[in-house]
Amino acid sequence: MTEERISSSLVRRRDALRLAAAASLGAAALPLFAQSPEAKKLPRLITVSGAITEVVYLLGAEGQLVGTDTTSLYPAAARGTPKVGYMRQLSAEGLLSLKPDAVIATNESGPPVVLDQVRSAGVKVEIVQADHSWGEVQRKNQVVGRAAAREAQARALQVKLDAEWAQVQQRVAAAQGRKPRVLFVLSHSASPQVSGEKTAAHAVIGYAGGVNALGGFEGYRPMTAEAMATAAPDIVMTSDQSIEAHGGIERFWQRPELALTPAFRKRSLVTLDALLLLGFGPRMPAAIAELHPKFMAAVA
Amino acid sequence: MKAPDLELGLRCEDAEVRIGAKALLSRATVRLAPGRVTAILGPNGAGKSTLLSVLSGQREPTAGRALLDGRPLRAHGMPALALRRALMPQESAVAFDFSARDVVALGRYPHRLAPAPDEDAIVAAAMALTDVSALAPRVLNTLSGGEKARVHMARVLAQLWHPRADGAARWLLLDEPTAALDLAHQHAAMRLLRGWAGQGVGVVVVLHDLNLARRYADEVVVLGVPDIPGGLCQGPTAEVLAPPLIEAVWRMPCQSVVGADGIEQYLFG
Amino acid sequence: MSQRFPPRAVLAGCALLLAFALALGAVSGAYAISLPQLWKVLASLGQGAAADKSPEYLVFVNIRLPRLVLGVAAGAGLGMAGTLMQGLFRNPLADPGLVGISSGAALAAGVTIVLGAWFMPVLPRTLGSWTLVVMAFGGGLSVTLLIYALSRSEGGTRMALMLLAGIAVNALAGAGLGFLSVMATDEQLRSLQFWLLGSLGGARWSAVILVGVAVLLSCVAAASLAAPLNAIALGESQAALLGVDVERIKRRAIVVTAVAVGAVTATTGIIGFVGLIAPHWVRMVAGPDHRAVLPASALLGAALVLVSDTVARTAMAPAELPLGVLTAFIGVPMFLLMLRHFRGRI
Repeated sequence: MTEERISSSLVRRRDALRLAAAASLGAAALPLFAQSPEAKKLPRLITVSGAITEVVYLLGAEGQLVGTDTTSLYPAAARGTPKVGYMRQLSAEGLLSLKPDAVIATNESGPPVVLDQVRSAGVKVEIVQADHSWGEVQRKNQVVGRAAAREAQARALQVKLDAEWAQVQQRVAAAQGRKPRVLFVLSHSASPQVSGEKTAAHAVIGYAGGVNALGGFEGYRPMTAEAMATAAPDIVMTSDQSIEAHGGIERFWQRPELALTPAFRKRSLVTLDALLLLGFGPRMPAAIAELHPKFMAAVA
Repeated sequence: MKAPDLELGLRCEDAEVRIGAKALLSRATVRLAPGRVTAILGPNGAGKSTLLSVLSGQREPTAGRALLDGRPLRAHGMPALALRRALMPQESAVAFDFSARDVVALGRYPHRLAPAPDEDAIVAAAMALTDVSALAPRVLNTLSGGEKARVHMARVLAQLWHPRADGAARWLLLDEPTAALDLAHQHAAMRLLRGWAGQGVGVVVVLHDLNLARRYADEVVVLGVPDIPGGLCQGPTAEVLAPPLIEAVWRMPCQSVVGADGIEQYLFG
Repeated sequence: MSQRFPPRAVLAGCALLLAFALALGAVSGAYAISLPQLWKVLASLGQGAAADKSPEYLVFVNIRLPRLVLGVAAGAGLGMAGTLMQGLFRNPLADPGLVGISSGAALAAGVTIVLGAWFMPVLPRTLGSWTLVVMAFGGGLSVTLLIYALSRSEGGTRMALMLLAGIAVNALAGAGLGFLSVMATDEQLRSLQFWLLGSLGGARWSAVILVGVAVLLSCVAAASLAAPLNAIALGESQAALLGVDVERIKRRAIVVTAVAVGAVTATTGIIGFVGLIAPHWVRMVAGPDHRAVLPASALLGAALVLVSDTVARTAMAPAELPLGVLTAFIGVPMFLLMLRHFRGRI
């Protein structure tokens, strides 16, 4: 309350000053998109990444959100915001037409030329490095907090999330017995792919106390029957969207590549929403907490 | 007409065109003078079109040489040759829907760097000569075979329309120009060619109709003649086209008759 | 029968269409710029550093204008190259892709996107954001060179051989792309897909100027090919008899096509359809004389790309549709309409 009264009197004084300044400034080459220090208004944000959008909502800054990308699907309200397109194919004019003060994206967004053009129009473009670590989640928090001028809330959220993370990591570390071999299957298109090292899935598997059934390569590869037999996963991890693309869990298990795996014998499968599972967002502790017991059940 | 100076003519010496093991033309020696109509005759596969393509410079012989006015054809260069010699092919598929007038106008292409003052008039006059003026705006590919042939003939005429300033002879080479034409147009075309020869143009025409050749050609070159080196016989029409030779080359019984106008013609069968 | 419009009228008409498309493109966009604002921006264009740097000015000059210029260059290059290819192959179904320039560029783009990090880490360091462009241009030229070499026989270039070699090599490039798609991650696949669908979104002035110069030089070099291509329509041997240096014409046409289409494709990805359609449209109204079809196709191609791009960046604002999709969506119905109207002349 006090804050508001102080800031509104500030506004009145500043308004008067501004009128005088404008008259004598003439053609100032200040990029007018930038937040002028006198304005009380909160920065307008565009977020390009589902996880980053989630953070915005958690910080209570959804009122500042003027646009999101097509991967921003959580919470449900995010689906109603104006969509700026797929994160790798953004449009400079499209972004600028929403008059943002800041665009927050991961280093996977592009094209780089577009981001440069947005920057040169005076909009802050904050890039978060995606390295599939807890640090990534922390950085997303910090960056959003800074860009949304809600640093206090961001710090509070960070403390909460760090605590959740510590708790779930403790539980994972305390688990006894061998770590389950986990296979991650990605299947949004016709041919399913499985993930090796240096992928988001690989990191998630590790955090949840499992071991990637596949190793020795980076990135994604097509799933083959022999490779699956050698990998011998105890449990298969996939996204809800992949199951849907297959036409259901039963059809998924009918894939011949999986028939020779231990996971198939026990029908050990864990599926989560893709964004929740791999987004490296604020819900990650919750995702890990859900994965871990299912992992352990597979080797029980 | 003064006696033709054979050094200033179109000729080939011992020309041979061989593709792999097959010889399309072997040891052909032909000497042509301007101001005459020369018909090239012979059965299918004797090498008539090949000979014409060698004489026009379209094809380089694998042995022997082809010369115009004493210099090899290649030495003249194709752009320079195009100003003096035109070849009407047996078949010509024209891409896109060029009109008949467009096609005739293309005959003037070699002159584009030094156009005559009456380019449009030349095209119109050439079309009138071959009786295709009415077809001018029509798309060539929609015309009948005979109409197309007459358009192409107008094109080669347009190409050589004006006599040359340096007095060098022009050469009109035609590969079976009458094949698709009806009777009236066949004779009209041959008369037209005789008229051009009368103006000093060297006309060389491949024909399959011996009677047309007998009536309109000053001399003939017969290919596929047995028992002669090179299989080629060249000479004045009346002398060369005797029934015994015709029977030997075309393997058809041949009877000579003289028509009411006094010109020898042949009956076959 | 043939009521063709005179070439000057057609050229003027196409130039008018292009002017209209430019105007439409200038006033349209996801970012709202009103007409008075646009007028102010245009007025201050010539003033350089002293100009007022309002947000409208920045958006127009840094984002919209380079895009418009790239659109003109791309459409002109594709339209011109399409005409050259159709003249060279003596076939109205030919398009610049036949000599492999598009598939070569696509394959190189695929290799860069999917395998780049793995076996060519040096390139991105030296070329930075130009990596994809340079690779695509190089790939396009290499494949064109290969197809050209395969079509040489007996000291000449046989178009029939080129067609077959083109089909074979294009198929191989397609297979290569398929293989790359299998190896690609989801993200790489998406990047490649978007590249293949074409976009003017990567338009920054440095790239636009390079492409513009390449296309301009190509158009100038192509101008002298118009009359010989008319003669070549009679057949290559007939053209030779008319004094046309057919081999030289072929070489020049292929080089011009490779440079123009290569530069465009490297910057914009694959923009299909324009090179095939623009010459057809012009022939329908002006007849087949290349001296009219060549320049008019360039103008019309430019207009088509501009209009398609305007729709691409406004129909689903603030997102963007891929350009290649729109050139087909807009081009095909127009083509069919014209086909109906000018049916008699085909």
